[in-house]
Parts: sequence; structure tokens; C-alpha cells
Amino acid sequence: MNNGAGRRINGGAEEDDDEDDVNGDLDAWERTYTDERSWESLQEDELGMLRPIDNQALYHSQYRRRLGSLSSTAARIQKGLIRYLYIVIDLSRAASEMDFRPSRIAVIAKHVETFIREFFYQNPLSQVGIVTIKDGVAHCLTDIGGSPESHINALMKKLECSGDSSLQNALDLVDGYLNQIPSYGHREVLILYSALSTCDPGDIMDTIQKCRKSKIRCSVIGLAAEMFICKHLCQETGGTYSVALDESHFKELILEHAPPPPAIAEFAVANLIKMGFPQRAAEGSISICSCHKEAKVGAGYTCPRCKARACELPTECCVCGLTLVSSPHLARSYHHLFPIAPFDEVTSSHLNNPNCKLQRNCFGCQQSLLDPGNKPGPAVVCPKCKRYFCLDCDIYIHESLHNCPGCDSLRHS
Amino acid sequence: MKFQIEDVTVYFPYDHIYPEQYCYMIELKRTLDAKGHCLLEMPTGTGKTIALLSLITSYCLSKPQSPMKLIYCTRTVHEMEKTLAELKILHNYQIKHLGPQARILAIGLSSRKNLCVNPTVVAAENRDSVDAGCRKLTASWVRALASENPDVAMCEFFENYEKAASAAVLPPGVYTLQELRAFGKEKGWCPYFLARHMVQFANVVVYSYQYLLDPKVAGIISKEMQKESVVVFDEAHNIDNVCIEALSVSVRRQTLEGATWNLSRISQEIDRFKATDASILRAEYNRLVEGLALRGNLPITDNWLSNPALPDDILKEAVPGNIRRAEHFLHVLRRLVQYLSGRLDTENVEKESPVGFVASLSSHAGIDQKTLKFCYDRLHSLMLTLEITDTDEFLHIQTICDFATLVGTYGRGFSIIIEPFDERMPHIPDPVLQLSCHDASLAIKPVFDRFQSVLITSGTLSPIDLYPRLLNFHPVVSRSFTMSLTRDCICPMVLTRGSDQLPVSTKFDMRSDPGVVRNYGKLLLEMVSVVPDGIVCFFVSYSYMDGIINTWNDSGILKLVFIETQDVVETTLALDNYRRACDSGRGAVFFSVARGKVAEGIDFDRHYGRLVIMIGVPFQYTLSKILLARLEYLRDTFQIKEGDFLTFDALRQAAQCVGRVIRSKADYGMMIFADKRYSRHDKRSKLPSWILSHLQDANLNLSTDMALHIAREFLKKMAQPYDKTGSSDKKTLLSQEELEKLGDGRMHEMSY
Repeated sequence: MNNGAGRRINGGAEEDDDEDDVNGDLDAWERTYTDERSWESLQEDELGMLRPIDNQALYHSQYRRRLGSLSSTAARIQKGLIRYLYIVIDLSRAASEMDFRPSRIAVIAKHVETFIREFFYQNPLSQVGIVTIKDGVAHCLTDIGGSPESHINALMKKLECSGDSSLQNALDLVDGYLNQIPSYGHREVLILYSALSTCDPGDIMDTIQKCRKSKIRCSVIGLAAEMFICKHLCQETGGTYSVALDESHFKELILEHAPPPPAIAEFAVANLIKMGFPQRAAEGSISICSCHKEAKVGAGYTCPRCKARACELPTECCVCGLTLVSSPHLARSYHHLFPIAPFDEVTSSHLNNPNCKLQRNCFGCQQSLLDPGNKPGPAVVCPKCKRYFCLDCDIYIHESLHNCPGCDSLRHS
Repeated sequence: MKFQIEDVTVYFPYDHIYPEQYCYMIELKRTLDAKGHCLLEMPTGTGKTIALLSLITSYCLSKPQSPMKLIYCTRTVHEMEKTLAELKILHNYQIKHLGPQARILAIGLSSRKNLCVNPTVVAAENRDSVDAGCRKLTASWVRALASENPDVAMCEFFENYEKAASAAVLPPGVYTLQELRAFGKEKGWCPYFLARHMVQFANVVVYSYQYLLDPKVAGIISKEMQKESVVVFDEAHNIDNVCIEALSVSVRRQTLEGATWNLSRISQEIDRFKATDASILRAEYNRLVEGLALRGNLPITDNWLSNPALPDDILKEAVPGNIRRAEHFLHVLRRLVQYLSGRLDTENVEKESPVGFVASLSSHAGIDQKTLKFCYDRLHSLMLTLEITDTDEFLHIQTICDFATLVGTYGRGFSIIIEPFDERMPHIPDPVLQLSCHDASLAIKPVFDRFQSVLITSGTLSPIDLYPRLLNFHPVVSRSFTMSLTRDCICPMVLTRGSDQLPVSTKFDMRSDPGVVRNYGKLLLEMVSVVPDGIVCFFVSYSYMDGIINTWNDSGILKLVFIETQDVVETTLALDNYRRACDSGRGAVFFSVARGKVAEGIDFDRHYGRLVIMIGVPFQYTLSKILLARLEYLRDTFQIKEGDFLTFDALRQAAQCVGRVIRSKADYGMMIFADKRYSRHDKRSKLPSWILSHLQDANLNLSTDMALHIAREFLKKMAQPYDKTGSSDKKTLLSQEELEKLGDGRMHEMSY
């Protein structure tokens, strides 16, 4: 059994010695129990046959439910496009547990990285900061800012876990930071919580009310089990609470927070925000970069107001504080405001109906909608153009394409 | 929604109904039609109460000519309030649909402690002193005195109530205790006496078990109930114990001392009366010659005590000559007390049948059986005559008379056990003489005989065939329903081994083994690390809990630990803080004892109890003399094997404990039975079917680490959002249309 060794290689540098102690008093045969539970990924169907657990159907139904709940509120809703999001990462002892492989924290770090990139891709006008909780104390790892790289780099350097976790400390810290941001920005906190308890210095209910008053939307993704206090926090502040089943589910949950949430009614008044559209400097020009404080050659952007050089967009000019964006960034936020309607599920009897014979294939990918056994498989239909799509295309259209191919082709023809 | 069950239109105040509620109503309807008794088991959290109430009230409405009345017995005041609140919703709904003809009067009846509105009386700390305080202000002789002497205090509420006389009625409606008090305050009428008066006219009466089962109380309160009434015992899994307690008496040294003191006080009173007004005593004597049944001569409001379950013919007999005179009766009582204290001086445990006891009593103290039989009534009559109001002072002598009457009345089903010391502490002499009742059917027999339908229902009545034998009646319907769930929200597990694969058990020879204790400790520690919020842990006894906690003391536990103690106040405080710890996300563990107060009445729903661990099988203390005597009696009379009864009793306690975590369908929780004996079929099969149906074969023989893994998976699965109404093939909520669509036959299938 080389499980232990294999895992250590997998875990890489992020793991600390802590876990070796945890594993130390387990015998080799016990480790096989905790790690390899191949029988768990099987389930019995109604005929008593063993089948691998059908995760895809599960995920898809969950995805559809979320889609429904998002769009049910109103077809066209004002979205908070300028977001100030703090990601709170729990680095307590519980985060070093290994039910996610190689360890919870490694998984969290990996997906926070994707999330930050995706977040900036979808919300070019927003900013992110990272807060960590360790030994019952909350630390600000990175200040709020618009550069994905700097956050990711800072996070990867600090992944040691120890001590207890304190939700209250983290919320207090974040509340202090978010109170300073301008009123047009949407204040959000995303907490990635591994622990199952919180060790607080005071009454956390007060803190929750404080967050509620300062209109901070708190969402929590748990890694172990549902906790009452997290649920309560999310309910009070209008956030969402979810618990990850496994790694891919966790990824899905965290990416759900990337599209902008509906705007809070009080902020829904129209506001004008001053922005700069910097020019890209000529290749080969040398200038001192204002963000890294060093001379750099080549591609950079020049602030239209103070002429300082910035390396990346979007950002805030270090000198004059102007928000610097490019026009594609703005354009990219557009689709959030006009989402396409969720597709309806097709009942299986419908598909066998001779009248609908034409639509045996997915309109998107042209794959057959029938199962191998020629039974009708799951499919969805666009409420406008009545075209049928398979589940993969459904997700692709809603998540990435943001246009219905059926409706668009109708418009052209 | 409203729907049809056979010929009855049922009005149900909610838009949706659970399938099992519908089945439950069908069974109930059949029982009512058959005018028989029934036993129904349905898990908690499935809306038993509302199903019951709405069917019975609808049944009454559909048959307006029959004077049917619902008597609903609950265990606690809290449950009483909850029932009345449900009834209120239902009543409003029925009025909305049927108009004023659906009006009913429903009241809750409780002790003076809960109903009194007189600020000076209700300030007293316990029930007995409130009762006595009330009597001091309202007894007829006090009021007679007060009419002459204005300085004597009276209760204005009672006076107003008396003045209003027959005008003092409650308008129809549903009254909770709170509302009854408010009504009383507003009108200036005493709510307690008003309620007692209105019980005769009410359509629905909600009160505690004692009012029907305890013969002393039942005689006064429940005398006037018509035969057509439907009696419901809710949460009735312990009904046999309630019956037994109602007829059991224990006498300690303190009781005897108190009784002696009481007797001398009574004799002083007699002397005083002799000196001032001997005619009263003479009048009493004459009355006693004519027989006890004529007690009615006394003002009806003063009927505060009554005879325990005496056959009617005794009431009509004349009181024996030797206790008709007050001072002679006192002599008899003195001799009795003397004799009892002589018996208490014994060095070893004695066990005797009532017949033997009476024989030796008559040879040693010269008191015969007939005299004994009348003790209770004679004392009652004497105290009325002597105008004694502070009845709480005289509890001791009442206990003695109670004892005497029971011994004199019943030859079978009882035994007298004298123990010189507590088994567990043999060095401290604490003699106690117990008259213990073994036959639960004695106390409940009048109820079954008298009323047309008696419904016994609870979340845990398994095995359901044992109850009719214990209570000695023949149900027309006995059924057990399972819960229809949208997801598997309960996860029972049987844990037989620790992670070192050694078996764990609280069997007597294993319980103190350090390996077992360590394994239990480890189980708890590891569970604490994967289960959020609250965990409840039940032990088999206080002594075992103390022992095991001491052993665990060295190992640190992540969460806060709260412990139930025998002290009520301390326990309440611990519970409060436990809840706070769960609310604030700190997480906590509550240690409690099976058969304790917490196991019986406190809910650990939602995050207050995500996991309950039952450590060991909560068997009764099998060396107890009383239990042994009862077992013997059960074997001889009802042919119930000792082992069967013990297992049944232990398992129903265990089920009761673990049932604390699920209080509604949206809730979820895990249950761990940590003892290797649970994996045996004879034990396991006695669990209620709603637990058994979720107990998978794979979870029958787990070790700690496997259980841990299952817990993790389960908690994650349960944290996912879910669809409340259930998917199409597994409906758990039925709307009116769906209900109409479903044929009777289909529903039938579903309930199995």
C-alpha cells in the first residue's frame, strides 16, 4: 500500500505536517478505508443491478433548478455589475482534512483560482479581496483590487491551516473594509467554510445584523455539512448557502457566484460613474509602471487623466484613482442584463410523438436525442423557437453562448 | 381543503395533506363507526394531531344528532397548548366553510397553577400550595365566615363567578389556557371554576392524562362525561406506566412522621370542635350511618377529593361502625401508622401480597379489610367537617389513607415491597414501603368500559400487539403507519464495534471495560468532528453516565458539553445554553439519560439535534424488586415473557430517545444505536417501523470509522436543496384534486 506516499506527492507543498499526525495513528488497513471507497460510487437500480452513480442527471437537475430560481424572479432584472467581493477562506484545522483529495485546502485553492479568473471575465468592472481565517483570527490577505494575478499569487503562498475558525471575526473585518467602498458598488462576501463550528469572541447575531444593515450580501459554500449559523447568515443577508458534495460539485457551486446577482433595491437607482478608457502604449516604449513600481518595456496602458502606466485592465489608477476599463469589458457585462429564458423540459412521451419526428436530434450539436435503446432521452425545448436541445447544449447555451441558436437562425431566415 | 371519506365530509385546514394522514383518518373513521377502541402508530412530524382533530370534529359535524364529545388527553401543558392552537386553526377554517353552525366550544383544563388569575394565589411556588391557597379563599365555610366578617379575605374572581351563577358561560369558540385566563380576567370570573363548569358543555376538552386515569381526580372531573365521548390518548407510548403510577403508593419514614404530626393536629381540631360546636361532629356521624353516597349533602364545590377507583357498591354501603366517630377513626389511623413504622424497621427486603398484608395487619393491629377500604373516604369526610383548608399540609396522612384503601380494595395485581435501603447505597438506611401496582389495566379499565371509543396513538407504539395485552382490551383497529418522505432524511445506524473492531455494549459484564469506554469516547469524539451544530447523546442511566464521563474527562472534546442532571432547574439552564451554543454555530453535545425528563419531553429538532447517539440498550434496572414483581405478575396473568417485556420496554425508550431528532419532514437527522445487541433481530425488530424502514442492511453492523464515513456522506446529501412535494411517482403532499383522483384502494396500498 503506497497510499500514504502517493498522497504526499499529490498534496505537494500545500500540505503541512498537521495531517501526518492525523494519519499517524491510523493503521495501514484503516487508511484504505478512509481513502478508497470504490463501492460508494455504485448504486443499485430498480432491477437490482449495480451501476455507477448517475451524477450527471443529478447535476443537471440541480442546475435546472438553480436556473429556474434565478429567472423566476423577473425576466429582466437589474443586476449589480459593479461588485466588491471579499472571498473569505477558512484556513482552520478542518481545512486540512482529506475527504477532498489531496486536501480540502488544495481543492479550495485550485478552484478559487479558476473562480477569480472567471469572476473578472464575467465582471470586468468588479473588484475582489481575499481574507483568511486561521487560529480563530481573520487576516486580510490581499486588499480589494482588480488584478486576478496578484490575488492568486498571494493566496498560493499562504495555505497553511491550523487552529479554529471564527466566522464573527471574519465578518467584522470584512464589514470594516466594505463600509468604505462607494455606494454604487455591490458589497458581497463569499465564504468558503470548511469547519463545522465557529469560535467567536462575542455574539455573532449582532454581527450578522450589522452586515445586514450595511447591505453586505453574504454567501457561504460549506465543505462538510450544513450549519445552522451559516444558513441563518445567508438568509438574513440575502445570500445563498450551499454545501459541496465533491470536487466537481464544489467547482460548480463556486462558479455560480461568478455571474452578477440581482441588484439590491436600495442601490437600484441609476448612478453615473466616472471611468477612463486608457490607450494602449506603443510596443517597445519604456515607462515606469505605477502598479509594480519598476521600469517595464512594451505593452501597457496609459491613464487618460494622469498619464500613469498600468499593466493590466481593468484596474483602478494608482495615482488618480480613476477606474480604468476597456470597451470590451463593458460589452461583456451586457448579456447579464438580457439573459435568455430557461428552456422547458420535454416529457418523454412528447418525443415519441410522430408529429415531432423532425426533432429527434439536438438542434445545437445534431446528436440524436434518443438513448442507445432507442428510448427517448432527456431533452429541453426553447420556449420561443420550439427547438429541441440536449442537456449539454442547454448548459452550454446558458452558461457560455448566451444566445439561443434556434431563435437566432429564425431571425436570420 | 375538504374531501370525502366514505360518508363524512372532512374539513382539513391546509391545502395539502400527507398520504399517511389520509390513511390515518380512514382508520379513525372506521373505529368511530365501529364504536370500538383503536391503537394507531404514526411517526411524529406527520401531523397526527391535526388529522385526528379534523376527522373527529368533521365526524361530529356530519352526525349532528349524536351528542359526541372529544376528550383529548395530553401529557404536558405545552402539548395541550399546541393541540388547542391547532384546533383553533381548524375551527376557523370550518366556520369559514360551514358558517356559524360549525361553532364548537373547546377548552383546555389544567390545574389551578396554570389557570388561576388571582395574583396573590398564583404567586405560590408549587401546585399544591396554589391549590391550598385557592381553597383558603373559596371554601364554603370561609365564604360563610366572610359574609359575617368583612376582614376575611376572599377571591374576588370566584365571588364574581358565583354571583354570575348560571350566566357564567363561555361563548362557543376555542380557548387556549392563555385565552381562558384573559377571558376570566376581563369578565372578572375565575377561569379555573369556569372551565370546570364548562367541561360538561364543551364539545372538545383537552386535559392531562391524570384527569382520566388517576381515580382520585377522575372522580371529580370526568364524572359527567357522556358515554358517546371519544377519548384520545396522545403520545401514549408510556400509558401503562402512567396507569401504574396512578395506583402505586410509596411510604417512607418522613411520610409516617408527617402523618403522625397530621394526626395530632386533627385530634386538636376535633377537641376544639367538641368544645365549641359538637353538633357538627354529630351531624357527620349521622351522615356516615346513611352511607358515603350521600356525601352529596356537602356543598358541591368542596368536592376536592374523591375515592380511588372504588366499585360503586362500596359507595352505597354504610361506613363501618368502628370508624364512624372521628376519634375512633383517628385511633385506627394511629394504629395503622404505628404498624407501618414497625414494618419499616425491618433489616431485609420483604415482599408480600396485599392479602397477606391485610391478614397480618388485622392480627397485629386489629384493623380489618373493610375498615381499610373506607379510610380514604372517611378522612376526606373528616377533613371537610373540620373545615381544614391547607390541604397541602396534610399530604402525608392522605398518602397513608390512599395506601390503606388500595390495600383493602385490591387483592390481585399489587404487591407490597419493603426495602430497608437503596440497592445502590446499602450503607444508608432509607427504608421504603411500596405498594406497587403491576396491572396497568386496572386504572384504565373504567375508561375503556365507560367510553364508546378510546384512541391510543403515538409515534412509537411498537410492537403494537403488546399494548392490548398490557392494557387488557380489544382494539378494533391497530395499525402502524410509516412516513412518506421525499428524501431519506433519517439515517439510523447500528454500531457494534469500535474502530479497533472490538464489540461495544453496555451489557453488565462489559460496560466498565476500559476498552468499551474508550471506544464509546472515541465514537463521540469522531462524530463531533463531522457533525455540525447539536449532538444529543443518551446514556442508559445516571450512574453510568457519571462513570463514563469521569473516564472521558482526560480526553478533550471539541464542542461544549451540557449534561442533564436530576435537578430540573439545572437541566433547564443546561438546555437553554445548549440551544444558544447551537444557534451561534459553536456546536454542542448534550448528555442525557434515557427515561429522563429530556428524553420524554424535549425536542431536539433541526440543528438542535443533527445526530443522536444511543449508548447501550436502556433496560430497566432488572434487580429492582418492583420490576421483578411486575414481571412475575405479567408472566402469570398475561403470559408475557420477562425477556419480551424487558426488551419491549427498553426498545421503546430507545426509540423515544432517537425520535427526538425528527419533528417534521423537512428536518433530517442521524441516529446511532451504539451497542452490539441492537444488531440482533429480536431487539431490532421491536423498533418502530418508520425507523426500521430506513435502517439498511448495510448499516446494521458498523464500526466507528465506517459510521463516520456514512455520516459525512449523509450530511452532505442532506444539505442539498430538494423539492418539497416529491417527484411524481412518490408523492408526499396531496392536493384536493389529487386526493379525489386517488381511489380508496390505491391509498390502501400506500399505507403498507
